[in-house]
Amino acid sequence: MRCTLVALALVSCHRDPAGSEDAPIQLGAALQITGPLANTGRYYRDGYQIAVEQINAKGGITVAGHKRQLALKLLDSQSDVNLGVRQYVQLLSQDKVDFLLGPFSSNDALNDSSVAEKYEVPMVQGGGASSQIFSRGYRYVFGTLPPADNYFDSTLKMMLKLPPRPPKTAALVCADDSFDVSVAQGTRKLLAAAGIELVVDKQYPEHTPEFSSILSLIKSKPPDIILWSGHEPQALNFLRQAKSLGVDANLATSYTVGVPAADFRTALGKDAELAFGMTPWIPSKDLKDDWFGDGDSFAAAYEQKFGYAPDYHAASAVADVEVFAKAIEAAGSLARARVRDAIAGVDFHSLYGRVKFGATGQIALPELVVQIQSGQVVPIYADDFINKPVYPVPAWDKR
Amino acid sequence: MHLAAQILLNGILLGGLYGLMALGMGLVWGVLNIVNLAHGAFIMLGGYAVYYCYAGLGIDPFAALPIAMVGLFCLGYLVQRFVLSLIARAALLSTLLVTFGIDVVLTYLALFAFSADFRTINPSYAGDHFDLGGLTVPLAQLGAFATALVLAGGLRMFLARTRTGRAIRATAQNLTAARLHGINPRRIYPLSFGIGTALAGAAGGLYGVVSQVTPYMGNTLTAKSFVIAILGGLDRPLGVIAGGVALGIAEATTDIYLDPTYRNAIGFGMLVGILVLRPTRLFERA
Repeated sequence: MRCTLVALALVSCHRDPAGSEDAPIQLGAALQITGPLANTGRYYRDGYQIAVEQINAKGGITVAGHKRQLALKLLDSQSDVNLGVRQYVQLLSQDKVDFLLGPFSSNDALNDSSVAEKYEVPMVQGGGASSQIFSRGYRYVFGTLPPADNYFDSTLKMMLKLPPRPPKTAALVCADDSFDVSVAQGTRKLLAAAGIELVVDKQYPEHTPEFSSILSLIKSKPPDIILWSGHEPQALNFLRQAKSLGVDANLATSYTVGVPAADFRTALGKDAELAFGMTPWIPSKDLKDDWFGDGDSFAAAYEQKFGYAPDYHAASAVADVEVFAKAIEAAGSLARARVRDAIAGVDFHSLYGRVKFGATGQIALPELVVQIQSGQVVPIYADDFINKPVYPVPAWDKR
Repeated sequence: MHLAAQILLNGILLGGLYGLMALGMGLVWGVLNIVNLAHGAFIMLGGYAVYYCYAGLGIDPFAALPIAMVGLFCLGYLVQRFVLSLIARAALLSTLLVTFGIDVVLTYLALFAFSADFRTINPSYAGDHFDLGGLTVPLAQLGAFATALVLAGGLRMFLARTRTGRAIRATAQNLTAARLHGINPRRIYPLSFGIGTALAGAAGGLYGVVSQVTPYMGNTLTAKSFVIAILGGLDRPLGVIAGGVALGIAEATTDIYLDPTYRNAIGFGMLVGILVLRPTRLFERA
């Protein structure tokens, strides 16, 4: 009996690492390290890792006068939403992590965040932008991607200002997952408000590789603009098939994802040229950061460590870890309710931009319009023009 | 009307490639009685073989297809000879488990070797097209369709006209009678499996030209191949291509006239339809 009690005491000590004043603070996440979403999932794995290492290298976090290190517990959800949910339960019930970081993609974040809410453990996630995640009145879920509904907002504002004329008709092509459904719902409202008629409005299965029918439909009633939303592999196929079927918008085509990512340009080569896209983040010296110096130094350190350039997913992931660092220091405790309140109140400048959560727990960064020009991602428009766009984009056979 | 014709053309061109994907699966199923769940993984490996021939060595993807096919033939031959031969004539469940295992191993080895980056095989003509009576004909898709027809025709000739081809068909039709006539299944099985994986390799290369190559592309392609092999019949190469075209047309028209999100439901609905109308189809052999 005594042996059992001793053993139980040992187990409970082992399972509650944060209980000791020197033990590292455990942040847990179930990520798409393998499976169809691994290509983007790696930004989160690598972003979390570099952020934790950098914060630890700078001395860690001060909690009630004690310096504490951060530690990561990452599980591979294999791009399976259901497995991800089980793994978040495992992280809390077996691995006893202190706080939760998010997975990639709105579908995953939508489901996984319910675990965080149920266990009342703060989750800061930078992979889910869908407004569905934030419309359920959850208190423990925070997001560092801007709301999906508004992704095309800055793009449309820019297009309305550009010569030769404001767009009158649009084709909207969005996937059927949580993120893209939010994008589609928000964009329909934006288009209606701008007085732009929707001539094609198609939803497609999230992982389809095939767009030729939708593209032929678009070609049969050429719109002024094509607005496309989905995951990066699908963006690539849509663009290639548009070229092979000779489908052009009268003015321009814009993609919610893909354009800022380095491997999108690598895979497409010169076909990626002049595509419009958006990102809440591009590396900049002006983005000052307590741990990395600034956005440029972060991008350089990231590329050197992992061998590929970071995009906004990675920066968003770093911001998630920094939110915990700031909030835990502010709370002066690891008590989850206090840290939750501290997260709701954070307001700091980071390599990702200003981090401050709204009432629903989501950040409100503007989407910067970018265009690929001479193989580079060029920032074009935020509140005003930053660089000159190539607009209207010439048809495929006139390039 | 014009749109309908274009949708039909898109479906036919895509369907040819679908048919080629299913060709190897149908052959292996018919001869070895194995539903090869790793078929999509072999398609994926073919995609990478052609990608590296093109991106690394500068070989045109269509010219690289034979290289990928030889490589995949050798791999398939060895896999049958040393792995699948251990479960020859075993229960269906064992073959499913083993080929599923091979699929997982190949997929994760590919992730390890090639990373999760998606690759496109993007020669200068990949985005070209020409007009034919007001219809847009994409060149690469047309090339893929033509290659599928040539390979299916070649397979048909091989099975019908050559001694080895007839031995393969005999093995599929009646193993005992074939053995009594001096055919050695130990020789025929790896050969058939190798031909199946070689065809998968060609399909993978073409798929990379019109779409993209990732370590995870295999699963959906295995499912599609399964449907098409049943639609087309296991033993008729041109029938399999026709099955692919039927699925391609069904998907393309679903996208426009129903809703793209019903695409998979239509594919598997066709499968269910076939099995209801001709329930023996699953077990028909050459």
